[in-house]
Amino acid sequence: MAILEVSGLRKQYPAFLLEDVTFSLEPGRIMGLIGRNGAGKTTTLKSIFHLVHPDAGEIRIFGLPMPDKEREIKQRIGYAGGAVDYYKRKKLRDIVAVTRTFYENWDDAAYRKYSAAFSLDENKTPLQLSEGMRVKFSLTLALSHRAELLILDEPTSGLDPVSRAELLDTFLFLKEQGVSILFSTHITTDLEKCADDITYLARGKQIASQPLQAFLAAHGGKSLEEIMVEYEKESLHEKLAE
Amino acid sequence: MKNLLSKEFRLAASPLAYWFLLAALMTMLPGYPILMSAFFICFGVFHSFQNAREANDILYSVLLPVRKRDIVRAKFAFTCVIQMIGFLLCAILTLVRMTALPHAAAYAGNALMNATPVYLAFVLLIFTGFNLLFVGGFFKTGYKIGMPFLAYGICTALLITVGEALPHLPGLTFLHNPAGERLGVQFAALAIAVLLYAAGTLLAFRKAEQRFERIDL
Repeated sequence: MAILEVSGLRKQYPAFLLEDVTFSLEPGRIMGLIGRNGAGKTTTLKSIFHLVHPDAGEIRIFGLPMPDKEREIKQRIGYAGGAVDYYKRKKLRDIVAVTRTFYENWDDAAYRKYSAAFSLDENKTPLQLSEGMRVKFSLTLALSHRAELLILDEPTSGLDPVSRAELLDTFLFLKEQGVSILFSTHITTDLEKCADDITYLARGKQIASQPLQAFLAAHGGKSLEEIMVEYEKESLHEKLAE
Repeated sequence: MKNLLSKEFRLAASPLAYWFLLAALMTMLPGYPILMSAFFICFGVFHSFQNAREANDILYSVLLPVRKRDIVRAKFAFTCVIQMIGFLLCAILTLVRMTALPHAAAYAGNALMNATPVYLAFVLLIFTGFNLLFVGGFFKTGYKIGMPFLAYGICTALLITVGEALPHLPGLTFLHNPAGERLGVQFAALAIAVLLYAAGTLLAFRKAEQRFERIDL
């Protein structure tokens, strides 16, 4: 059974339309949601998490309908819009002390393990952490309640190359533990390093959703970056000449 | 819900929400529009909403395994707890003024409102205005606080003006007696204010719940 199923997702904004997004994520796989800025990645992720209200479409997580089973589903997933950007002046210790009370499956041993692995200092505030450390704190919170599915919006944006490599390694480790990951990015090299599947959005429309290797093979073995540029490049020269 | 209320106090609240409870001491001031105490008590809660907005508290909350309506409920519960502590302090100080200091010269010659049950009724009306206009207005967007606070400010200014004017109207001068006069009428007014506070807060909560459910974050 798919961990996450999205079908026919549609959301209309005054100046943007996301339409007919359909994909599914299998257990223990990493899916990259790729597209250039403004393609609809964040709207898709927010719709999955019921932060925005889609006009049409169906979302099922662990086989349960979202948002009808929102509370049960949220017990089992972790969402991070990149780095932690809430309560920036509160100590990590205080944020954790409150957060843990909401999760039935909160695991203190797991929290200590990830906290130590990521070298998080509980006495610091998010404001005192680097961007990479804040992403790691976000992941620690999600993993400490034994999230089976992580949904991450641009987690690698703004990270230095070393932090990015560390984060992608972490994704691969989590995949080995059976955690499924859906993360959005416009950094194609991140996907080539760790994604099993990709869903590609361009201007609010889904171009493809399939295993990464199959997608690359279908495009004559070109790199993701080359394929993206081919799809998305607007002919500025022609526009300027008009 | 208990966890969310705890989160309000431990993460979202501004210390000013607690410090501004001291505004209840204004109840003791002669020659001062003592209804400002209610305004400042709510001002502390306003600071908490501002603090929470800057800390992305709403986003943090909606990511938790809770219903959106519970987030609204927790904000209202936090507001009401602060208001009830403030009201209790105002009520105690009103009692002190009416029983231990009814003949104090400062209060006898006080041109402005004296602390009586009608004063407490107006305190509750100001709280009701805050809940309807500010807290209810906040949940139209989940982040805008300027216009809702302005609406609350105007409402409070009107209520203070009416409250200060009443004892000067023919037939209502008894409201000015520092010892309390025609207490039956005054307590009836207080009882009506209690009902209005309960009904107004419930109405504000129901509307906020619906509005917050509809907005995209």
